[in-house]
Amino acid sequence: MSETTREPDARRLATDARDRVRFEEDALALSDQVYRVARHLVGSREEAEDLMQETYARAFRSWRSFQPGTNLRAWLLRILTNLNIDRGRRQQRTPDMQPLEEGDYFLYNKLEASSDGPTDEEDVVERLSQNDVVAALSEVPHDFRDVVVLVDIGDFTYADAAQILDIPIGTVMSRLHRGRRILKQAMAESAVGGEVS
Amino acid sequence: MTAYDPCAHCEEVMQQYMDRVLTDAERAEAEAHLDECTYCRKRYRFEENLRQFVRQAVDLEPMPVELKRKLADLRTPL
Repeated sequence: MSETTREPDARRLATDARDRVRFEEDALALSDQVYRVARHLVGSREEAEDLMQETYARAFRSWRSFQPGTNLRAWLLRILTNLNIDRGRRQQRTPDMQPLEEGDYFLYNKLEASSDGPTDEEDVVERLSQNDVVAALSEVPHDFRDVVVLVDIGDFTYADAAQILDIPIGTVMSRLHRGRRILKQAMAESAVGGEVS
Repeated sequence: MTAYDPCAHCEEVMQQYMDRVLTDAERAEAEAHLDECTYCRKRYRFEENLRQFVRQAVDLEPMPVELKRKLADLRTPL
């Protein structure tokens, strides 16, 4: 091979290496935000840590398929949610049969009813503990939880969540609606206890 | 025919109102109702506080430093 063909090759390799390093740095800079979502998509911290490592290993291997200028956090989360499904954590099916038609005001009404006197809205929220929230979230069936976690914790738009989970936007909206209600019902159970209806 | 119940309608659209996905007209209608209805306004404020509370509750468990190191170790060696 002549000098003239070798030089552009070397330049191309250097550019490639620089792009890869930049990608890896950008992806690592987002790891706290990705973990924040991952931690609540799965049941335990150990599972979340495994999933994060698998996600980053795959992302670093397939960095060329990321299109610069698009949403890297959503791209990483898409890998993560696909791996989560592949790992067979979808035993719990969509609970179409689950009785849940408590309204959106259910949690407020329940907490207010359990108080001794008149309260303001902030006092009512303070009846919940952080553990109530984390435990309740883990009780939400996966299909619903994925959407609630992406939108309410990950701050993704409906459209981003639809793309990450590869489902129609209408499905995101209906799962979000039901997922939030299930979450509130579970929080009411842990905060007030006993019969929730 | 069932009579229109503004509080039931407000409850129905409240999450979308908070998600800022209602049209301008729907948003104006929801806000007009919240202005005049104490029952719904209290519940709306609660829902806002609740969202904030949920976000704070899940943030109490930051990513372990050890995991951050493991992720950095997965980078392609130079």
